[in-house]
Amino acid sequence: MKELVEYIARSIVDDPEQVNVTEGYGDGVVLNLHVAPDDMGKVIGKQGRIATAIRALLKVAAIKQGVRVTLNIE
Amino acid sequence: MDELEVGAKTVDEAVQQALTELGLDKTEADIEIISRGKAGIFGFGSEEARVKVRRRTLSATGDVTPDVTPDVAPEDVTPLGKEVLEQLLTLMNITATVDIRENTDQPDDKVLDVSGEDLGILIGRRGDTLSSLQYVVNLITSRKLRVNAGVTLDVEHYRERRYESLRSLAQRTADEVKSTARSISLEPMPSNERRIVHITLRDDSEVATQSVGHGEGRKVVISPGSAP
Repeated sequence: MKELVEYIARSIVDDPEQVNVTEGYGDGVVLNLHVAPDDMGKVIGKQGRIATAIRALLKVAAIKQGVRVTLNIE
Repeated sequence: MDELEVGAKTVDEAVQQALTELGLDKTEADIEIISRGKAGIFGFGSEEARVKVRRRTLSATGDVTPDVTPDVAPEDVTPLGKEVLEQLLTLMNITATVDIRENTDQPDDKVLDVSGEDLGILIGRRGDTLSSLQYVVNLITSRKLRVNAGVTLDVEHYRERRYESLRSLAQRTADEVKSTARSISLEPMPSNERRIVHITLRDDSEVATQSVGHGEGRKVVISPGSAP
């Protein structure tokens, strides 16, 4: 799941080297996506459209693994 | 003059030309892409883009902005889109095969067809997950090629079947509108599905279709009589 978020984020930002995903545990798996400040808009999108799409795909991966997942973008 | 068909090198150019000729702003017109055209190599084998632009008749109520039309899809978009999609599926732990097939709705257009077992999870409610997947594939592909990729995805022929039932729904509802002479609004649908309804009834001069409402609640209204 971490790799999925990394792949998508690195593919759509201007500065892929600053993409970093850390994994934590809260209510299921918690993924924290860090990107360069200028790239925030690239991973969130207008009205959060991109973030929503990433979360939808992440949910599929989570269901396949039988876990719950939350994605924070910071 | 309320309607004009124009051919040019690109869709954008054709639209611009038609709008200028009709003296309309983009917000006052309905734009239909007849052919997206092909770039060809050094001008060989190129095909011009054709669009039909119509003056929009404004209704007193509701939002009348046109539904989203897909952007130009050059030859190399589909293979790259396929690679991106396969990569995403692998990372999602989904075992599936991706094939490129002809789009039955738009000749000259390709669809990335995902098949495998238990793929309902990839479709989601009202095709939401499928739309997200398509959106992300296009985002990544566009970024890599620096064009607006308009790749279409389908999972287990979901879209194909859905579009088929939408066509018959549109037809049945239009018949009812004609016999009762009253407008009927369909359930809210995503833009690609509303587009199918508009296209299905476009040549029927006895009914008119229009999308009204916002966001999730946007739906098609079928009313008697065509737009003047």
